[in-house]
Amino acid sequence: MTSPNIVETAGTALAISGVSKVFNKGNTNEVTALSDVNLDVDTGEFISLIGPSGCGKSTLLRVLGDLTEFDSGGIQVSGRSPAQARKERLYGIAFQQAALFDWRSVSKNIELPLELAGWDKSRREARSAELLDMVQLSEFGNHRPWELSGGMQQRVAIARSLAVDPPLLLMDEPFGALDEMTRERMQNELLRIRLDTGKTIIFVTHSIPEAVYLSDRVVVMSPRPGRITAEINVDLGERTELTRESDHFFHNVTAVREALRLHDSSAVSSTSHRGEI
Amino acid sequence: MSNTRERISRGGISLLWALAGIVLIAIMWELTKILGTLIELPFNTSDQAMPNIWSMFSAFTLPEVRGSDTSVFQAVLAAASYSLLLAMGGFFIGVVVGLILAIVMQRFLFFERGLLPFVIASQTVPLIALAPLIVGIGNQISFGPIQWSTTYSVMFIAAYLAFFPLSIGALRGLQAPDPTSLELMRSYAATNNSILWKLRFPASIPYLVPALKVSAAAAVVGTVVAEISTGVRGGIGRLMIEYARETTSQPAKVYVAVFGAIALGLVVAAIIAAIDVLLTKNLPKKGLA
Repeated sequence: MTSPNIVETAGTALAISGVSKVFNKGNTNEVTALSDVNLDVDTGEFISLIGPSGCGKSTLLRVLGDLTEFDSGGIQVSGRSPAQARKERLYGIAFQQAALFDWRSVSKNIELPLELAGWDKSRREARSAELLDMVQLSEFGNHRPWELSGGMQQRVAIARSLAVDPPLLLMDEPFGALDEMTRERMQNELLRIRLDTGKTIIFVTHSIPEAVYLSDRVVVMSPRPGRITAEINVDLGERTELTRESDHFFHNVTAVREALRLHDSSAVSSTSHRGEI
Repeated sequence: MSNTRERISRGGISLLWALAGIVLIAIMWELTKILGTLIELPFNTSDQAMPNIWSMFSAFTLPEVRGSDTSVFQAVLAAASYSLLLAMGGFFIGVVVGLILAIVMQRFLFFERGLLPFVIASQTVPLIALAPLIVGIGNQISFGPIQWSTTYSVMFIAAYLAFFPLSIGALRGLQAPDPTSLELMRSYAATNNSILWKLRFPASIPYLVPALKVSAAAAVVGTVVAEISTGVRGGIGRLMIEYARETTSQPAKVYVAVFGAIALGLVVAAIIAAIDVLLTKNLPKKGLA
């Protein structure tokens, strides 16, 4: 349940203690989205939140970003409340849809958060050029978003989330709508960006291999009520071409899969059914 | 660019189709007249009621009144330009008012709840009933030396008809951004004003353009009808009434005024088309319009 490695912490990026969240409180369709969630994330750590639909992984991410309120418990984002952290622009966010604005060029999309943060034009342009270079889309700055492929659009969205250089990156299934090949390429690119920038990243996914490949730690969640049921440290070291094919990778995938199955009531009932036959 | 050339050639083709349509209507008009001489039709096809196309065209060059230097065409042109001015004035006021209403209704839910029924009810009042009322009230208004004139009443009526489609369209447009875009703006700690100018307003363009088209048409209709019902001189509405009274002596004359009204509508449509191109030049070429 608890993470054992508290050695050499460069500081706590995220401290979540006893957080609960109930939707439609008092209604007949009341849903406990989060129940007593505790999680500490170190600076520079890559955490994946994984679990079946309704386990509260997206809700947790949105609570961290102050996009949804929580009912009880405490959250510290870089030592501040989520609302304060949002106002100070201490995190960047990327969603499953790239959500680029059609009426802006690719560079202007990346510059949007900078405009809102009050950067002047020359600094904005320099920064967007730098970020386009980072996501390898330098030639596409003047293109319109709809002229780009899904994977390219998502790279622009990631560049945009990094624009104000926030210490924390929140990612809600950013590769969920991409095909498998693009997805793997994007995963490598994200790891490279992470190495370059040293960001703390919270990554929501429901792909087990994706979570294992990307993360230092996989946080397994389960629904009704939404809660954390396991934390698995991934010890794959530096990722290479061969990582995805290594036995070690499969061991980690298996560990996450078993942690997921342990708390999945529907899976348990189907196994017992099979047992009867 | 080949794209531009393509658009122009496509524009040329649709112009040809439009001309073909006009020729077809003219032919059917004349055929109906011929048919009327052969069999009994339920309507009058005499030269009095349905003058020949060529007499309509020759009416362009008739003197406006007996002995005057100005031709009917010149009179119609002047009247149509005057009406265009009034219609554009009313349209502009309508657009400004409609946009303000939409922004207020979008920002404050209680305004949407409280205002929207009145906005809708405003359009159920018949224009014919409204026109004398506005003129009556207007005549009592004066701001120091500036006296309310009936032309303001015409513009007011045009604006009254124009604001409605625009405010409804703009409201839908301002509410169009998807939740993800709004959350993105929230994550950037954007103010309500930034969200309005950088997200809601640009996102409303695909809804705004068709609303502008409907509004402009409403402003033209409003102007012509208001000119007739308020009796304002100088516009195409009044001219139509005057020429219609002369049908016994010069049946083709009124059709010149009708052509003038059509031209007025076309000019307004062209203005809106230009606005459309300007507003949507950065958007993908798929729209609601």
